[in-house]
Amino acid sequence: MTQTPTSLIESSHESTDLQIRSDLTAAHAQVWEKLAAPGTWWSGSERLAVAEVVRSALSDTDPVPPWDSASKSGRLPNDSVINSELQDAVYRLALHAGTLTEQWYQKMRDATGVTPQQWVEIIEVTIIVTSVLRFAQLAGVDQPEFPEPLEGHPTRQTQPSKPANHHWVPVVHLEDSTPELAPFYDGLPALAPVIRALSSVPSAMHTLFTLGDAQYIPMREMVDLNWTRGTLSRRQIELVAGRLSAHRECFY
Amino acid sequence: MMLRASSTANDLELDVDVVRGDLQESDAIHHAPELAALVDASVNDLASLPSARSALVEATDEATMLDAAAVVANFEMMTRIADGTGTRHPASRLESMSELSSSMGLEDFVSARV
Repeated sequence: MTQTPTSLIESSHESTDLQIRSDLTAAHAQVWEKLAAPGTWWSGSERLAVAEVVRSALSDTDPVPPWDSASKSGRLPNDSVINSELQDAVYRLALHAGTLTEQWYQKMRDATGVTPQQWVEIIEVTIIVTSVLRFAQLAGVDQPEFPEPLEGHPTRQTQPSKPANHHWVPVVHLEDSTPELAPFYDGLPALAPVIRALSSVPSAMHTLFTLGDAQYIPMREMVDLNWTRGTLSRRQIELVAGRLSAHRECFY
Repeated sequence: MMLRASSTANDLELDVDVVRGDLQESDAIHHAPELAALVDASVNDLASLPSARSALVEATDEATMLDAAAVVANFEMMTRIADGTGTRHPASRLESMSELSSSMGLEDFVSARV
């Protein structure tokens, strides 16, 4: 019998004697449920094809350099439902995100034909796979298999996104908030640019908040500079965050 | 940077080299060497990840190691969002962090959208 996405995550987190927080297991299960289901702009099969490239990139022991084509190297499926240019873009996002430039982004869009909103959803799939698989690797638990793709059509739900000063992708400004974005915008005096970055696709915002709340700090606790779960202090959390970001050469 | 903010809020001196350099135990960040070793192993040396994990558990406990793993996973996410969407800081923020960015060599990053 095919396992459900939630049971795949639960099996992974139970493959150790370590006691993984139940809210973290629930968050990973929630995004695993979304991984191969129809999204806003991509079908379940297309999302899974993106996920396959991310997994290949993350597990690549001899990575293709950022300026080379991963698809031409023979390490990615040549019967994928996404085109080879998009496979290359996803591979680079997964493995060499710190090398991306605005010029690369524009060329990538010309080559692949993806819209900014489709690109935002690709980032959503990438962060699901990266979060879940990297946590498993660090914690020393079995990596969960991917769920089976679900049939159905993308919702194609648009948002009033506009060109942005602090992003390549358009975003929904706070004053243009919609019912779909209300859970993420309401009650907050401001939202960091990196959070607003995914706002043209509310489902991606949901993924970001689901993972961020469980993996890092609940969004509404962010202003408490002494917040802790009782394990890591806030300073220890930020040390880990800053050191990883420096390794990834992420200026932001 | 939140690390600097959370230290300043507690009147603690923080050497920002903790983000990129070698670490010693300090009052500002307990078990910093073990935490940094876990991060470093996860990026640069997967073969040493089990020993880095064990060292952190020995210094703290299993729950703390798991939470550190979750924070790494989270910033594997955040770095891809920031760099995949071309997110940049507002000018006022860039100005306030320019000294820090220069001292840490962050402006040399390809991703430095200033």
